[in-house]
Amino acid sequence: MTLRRHRSAALLAAAALSPILACKFEPRTPELHYSLNAKAIASNPDLAGDPGAQAQLEGALEMLVGTPRNPRFLTLPEWLADGFDPNFWGEDHVKADEAAWKALVESNQKAFHQQLAAIRDGRFEALVRPRFADDLWERWQSLRAEMPAGGPDAEFLTTDDGQKVSWREEALYRFENYYPSLASSAALYHNQCFHCHGAEGGGDGSTSRFLEPRPRDYRPGKFKFTALKGKARPRHEDVFRILAEGVYTTAMPSFRRFTDSQLHGLVDYVRMLSIRGETEILLASFYDPAEGLHFDNVRENYVDVVGRWRGAPEQLITLVGPIPQPTPERVAHGRALFTTPGEKGGANCVSCHGTSGRGDGPSVWEPGKVGIEYTKDDWGNPIQPRDFTRGVFRFGRRPIDLYRRIYAGINGTPMPEHIGMTITENGAQRAMTEDDIWDLVFFVRELSSQSPLVASAGGAERQEGH
Amino acid sequence: MKHFLLRALFTLLFLAVPVLGVWTFVKAEDWGLWFPPIASSYGGSIDFLFFVILWMVTITFIATEVLLVWFIFRYSKKDPTRATYTHGNHTLEMVWTAIPALLLIFVAFSQMKAWTTVKINFPSDGPYTVQKPLMEVYASQFDWRVRYPDAQGNFMGADVIEVPYDITVPADTKVVFRLKSRDVLHSFFVPVFRLKQDAVPGMEIPVWFEATKPGDYDLICAELCGWGHYKMAGKIHVLPPDEFQRWLAQKRAALYATD
Amino acid sequence: MSTHAPAHAARPIGIDPPGTVHVDHSHHELGFLRKYIFSTDHKVIGLQFLFTGLIMLLFGGLMAMAIRWQLAYPWTEMPVLGRLLFPATGGVTTPEGYTMLFTMHGTLMIFFVIIPLLTGTFGNFLIPLMIGAPDMAFPRLNMMGYWFWWPGIACILLSFGAEGGGPAAGWTSYPPLSTIEAAAPGSQWGQNFWLLSLTFVGVSSMMGAINYVTTIVKMRAPGMTFFRMPLSVWGLMVAALLQLFALPVLTAATFMQLFDRVFDAGFFTPTGVIINGTSPETLGNAAGGHPLLWQHLFWFYSHPAVYILVVPAMGFVSDILSVHARKPIFGYKPMVYSIAGIAGLGFIVWGHHMFMSGMNPSVGLVFMTATIMIALPSAVKVFNWIGTLWGARIHLTSAMLFALAFVSMFIIGGLSGIWMASTPVDIYIHDTYIIVAHFHYVVFAGSMMAIFAAIYHWFPKMFGRAMNETLGKIHFVGTFITLNGVFYMMHQLGLAGLMRRTADPYAYETYAHLQPINQFISWCAFALLAWQVFFVLNFFGSMFIGKRVGRNPWNACSLEWEAPSPPGHGNFDKELAVYHGPYEYGVPDAPRDFMAQTQKSPGLHAHA
Repeated sequence: MTLRRHRSAALLAAAALSPILACKFEPRTPELHYSLNAKAIASNPDLAGDPGAQAQLEGALEMLVGTPRNPRFLTLPEWLADGFDPNFWGEDHVKADEAAWKALVESNQKAFHQQLAAIRDGRFEALVRPRFADDLWERWQSLRAEMPAGGPDAEFLTTDDGQKVSWREEALYRFENYYPSLASSAALYHNQCFHCHGAEGGGDGSTSRFLEPRPRDYRPGKFKFTALKGKARPRHEDVFRILAEGVYTTAMPSFRRFTDSQLHGLVDYVRMLSIRGETEILLASFYDPAEGLHFDNVRENYVDVVGRWRGAPEQLITLVGPIPQPTPERVAHGRALFTTPGEKGGANCVSCHGTSGRGDGPSVWEPGKVGIEYTKDDWGNPIQPRDFTRGVFRFGRRPIDLYRRIYAGINGTPMPEHIGMTITENGAQRAMTEDDIWDLVFFVRELSSQSPLVASAGGAERQEGH
Repeated sequence: MKHFLLRALFTLLFLAVPVLGVWTFVKAEDWGLWFPPIASSYGGSIDFLFFVILWMVTITFIATEVLLVWFIFRYSKKDPTRATYTHGNHTLEMVWTAIPALLLIFVAFSQMKAWTTVKINFPSDGPYTVQKPLMEVYASQFDWRVRYPDAQGNFMGADVIEVPYDITVPADTKVVFRLKSRDVLHSFFVPVFRLKQDAVPGMEIPVWFEATKPGDYDLICAELCGWGHYKMAGKIHVLPPDEFQRWLAQKRAALYATD
Repeated sequence: MSTHAPAHAARPIGIDPPGTVHVDHSHHELGFLRKYIFSTDHKVIGLQFLFTGLIMLLFGGLMAMAIRWQLAYPWTEMPVLGRLLFPATGGVTTPEGYTMLFTMHGTLMIFFVIIPLLTGTFGNFLIPLMIGAPDMAFPRLNMMGYWFWWPGIACILLSFGAEGGGPAAGWTSYPPLSTIEAAAPGSQWGQNFWLLSLTFVGVSSMMGAINYVTTIVKMRAPGMTFFRMPLSVWGLMVAALLQLFALPVLTAATFMQLFDRVFDAGFFTPTGVIINGTSPETLGNAAGGHPLLWQHLFWFYSHPAVYILVVPAMGFVSDILSVHARKPIFGYKPMVYSIAGIAGLGFIVWGHHMFMSGMNPSVGLVFMTATIMIALPSAVKVFNWIGTLWGARIHLTSAMLFALAFVSMFIIGGLSGIWMASTPVDIYIHDTYIIVAHFHYVVFAGSMMAIFAAIYHWFPKMFGRAMNETLGKIHFVGTFITLNGVFYMMHQLGLAGLMRRTADPYAYETYAHLQPINQFISWCAFALLAWQVFFVLNFFGSMFIGKRVGRNPWNACSLEWEAPSPPGHGNFDKELAVYHGPYEYGVPDAPRDFMAQTQKSPGLHAHA
């Protein structure tokens, strides 16, 4: 009796275990997919009620920028004739800047030092697959298969300017000069950015609802922190800077642990998402059931949006000569401009930033509401004017950064453009000039340097007479 | 026979504990599972203390486990006689209380110097002291930032240099800095320095180290700070002292760039 | 439990004044609810803790599997659990979801599994039986102790569905991450549920602890002096004392945190912080508090708590080893003093969790010394267990195997603690996987093995049937192998610097090569969970079709084996008098190789 029990127990055990041991699976990452902008669709009732048209729109957008797995810009013949291929937008741009390309090569050398050392020593099997650089790895595999019969140092190819390059030199070159493809950047985006910024860059990833402020929604094409005027699209450098520096006091960290090339690639991908998003919004708002979604109006909007990005660098706020020197008179003038309200002909900074520059001026309150209810920015985030006494500046604290902030304002927020703003001085009206803006910059820097700074104990209190 | 097989099976199972336990430590370094190389002046003393304990612990581990395994095997033999009837041995109790006690007291006292060196005795003879630190490091959700003071040594000036992620320090210099947190608890952990200190919001905590080897080293957050804790990385760049001064000067100049 | 063999109350005589305790045995028929649900019988309550604890073990284990999946295959679809836990991302763990997973895993395992299984199950079931009492001193309080646990369970399970998800600040719940709602998604309602849950669990535990101590002090059978009690009872009594003295501090701390969260009290909120874009003071929070205050209060309880997690297990293991080795426990009195020493020292070492916390480093030296000294009584216990085996006649039953595993694994857990106790070494290893390895060895490879041993050993007494030995041995072999596969390599991972609580450690290039080992560990973990099916089949199957046994299937000495299996209401069906300790195995001139505690032994040198 007992023996039977033991035997059947053992058999039962084996039966229970075998299905578990027998099954095997491959871990899968779910594929991303660009969905439509619900708000944009909803804003056009003709489109909202027409799933067929929405499907058409989705198809049109896929034609323009592809899918997350296989992103690529639709390239128009006139662009190619012009020498512009949006699929190499970033690479061409960065290559044109010697210093930036040099930094990119250096950062690749650091990141791929194991691979480069292995190539130099001839230990080709020992190369470790780099993370988030699948395209590089594939090119390396195919290069390995093409090793010439004469060995790694045999001549392999001739460059455009007639130089003869060995196989090994070509291998080293590929690693050092690696620039990610859009697909590779999409994969990195999926891993690092998607959970906050969402698949389409709508700032609606799973983590986004817990963040204050919300992650940026790229789709309207508005970016707060640029070095440009006229509400222009950001330069490549501007977006790169956000990735490299992060945005302090928000959940956007610095991503410097990735290489320069990976960050440049992400800039390209973000640009693509923004172009897609803005084109989508335009097509959705202009959709007319009578006309339908023709290639012509798709193309027209696409070219328009791309054109805005291409033309942006012309709007750069530049400086002729070095940064001006602050003097007590200029600081006093800046203070006067800052503290004089608009109706008295000043720059009206106090209405938002408050009399002590602590971001608590009267305009911050939503009209008609009680208590602290800040006004909202264009993305719906409650926005508090900067408290200068904390010494935090989200897009940089250099004098040129402050200058550009005040000059051009901040896109999508109540911070206006100050260049050309009408002020009254000595009884006469005039427009604000660059010098006036510098005076404000000097004053703001004074404000920020008199404060106990971010995150120190007792930071909320301003120390008198410091 | 069946009984012998069972005894053997279980004995081997228990024997696997000390055997594999020691073997995996012996092979650990080959598998890349070992301490990273030391790059700070006091790192060596910490590793040394670790190894002292490792030896003591390994000997104790092998001795007790092997004894346990031997007794399991030897005394699970089918034997109709009765077990040795004893309630204990007073002398043995004294011995195996006194000896571990002395060893443990030795361990405790031998640790104290290293601890006071790292956490209590801050350098007062170098270019940086607690009152005049090299930098302030801010931890926030989910970023590391460092501030170097302006040319007057003022951390609150408009010309402070603020850098995210990259923390550059000079080699062979006793570096003192203040650790702060903007929001929640974080922890400043540099494995190669053998340095760890929690960043507490509301506190400014002095920390010091002396980097001995130029290079780039990971900075890792070592206290749960929210969903981004896993990727709150930083990089410590250790430069030779003159190169560091050049770097700092260049950074000061770059504040006034116009690009 | 069963209703055959009506019992008479055993009135204690000689030790306590008559009339000190009066157990009412008016013979009314209890309805189903009063007999099995709201029972005041300590044995029923013990089993209630057992079943509920095992279900919570399943939940905690599933959390662990989710964690291991993410560490093996980060950001991929998790089979089975993925869709349940993370529907929005198609089964992929989210970064904030990961923080919730390890918080819930720790919380469930400590407060809802190990403590209830050790103290709730066996404390309830064994204490009256082992000391010869008919029931606990306060049976109704005992029942309330179990039922107060349920609101705690409800709260912790409800927290999964809270806005923002379950608590996500770690089971240690350090502020400001836990107190400021904006700091973590789980710090919205999830964290409130966590705090409420812990309050209920604490109240439940304290009710039980009062009962245990009173029962042991006042209701021992005649002749049952303190030094004739089995070590299980000593372990349970010391654990109960730890609960009584430490829990109030945790309850106070959880109330303070609750006040911080609900009434903006500011106990732990520092001034001048900006969390997730908001300044707490702007939102109306008081400030001027200190995060370290929470840490001190929390660890003042939670360090003795870890001894609550292990001391009863040590007691059970001592008893089980002795019974199945047919030999007295080696060094009974040193064993008692060691348990007391561990518990006493346990109150002055809490700072070793805080060496890096920013507390005054000089205080760290004090805590280091005390912590290192705790290794001493633990070592003495290990030596005594090994001494118990010397010259023994070991029966390799499932219970014995698990008890031996406890000894073997506790050696590992205890020795690794010495590194952590050393403050300079802790600079490197704090918050790495060495810490994870250490506490999993003592709590899982230690206490959980002891719980299995205790179940296999006392199951016959609980249910009147034997568990299947073959299944038990199969369960043991697989569990032993897989658990070492899971936790041993964590020591080396910690040496390499792998951090705890990181959803994707391979985000750092220096850790990228650690993924294969983590995959190995994860597969061992999945196998470990799957292997428990042998235990589940054995446990539930044997309850119904296991071989029936008599009162004393193990031929053991202690009093619980004098009662019927299972014991009836009132436990014992005869008058009890105790003549010697519970470890009289292998007595040379005795008629059998053991002498029950109630057996007179004129020639026996009665060890106190």
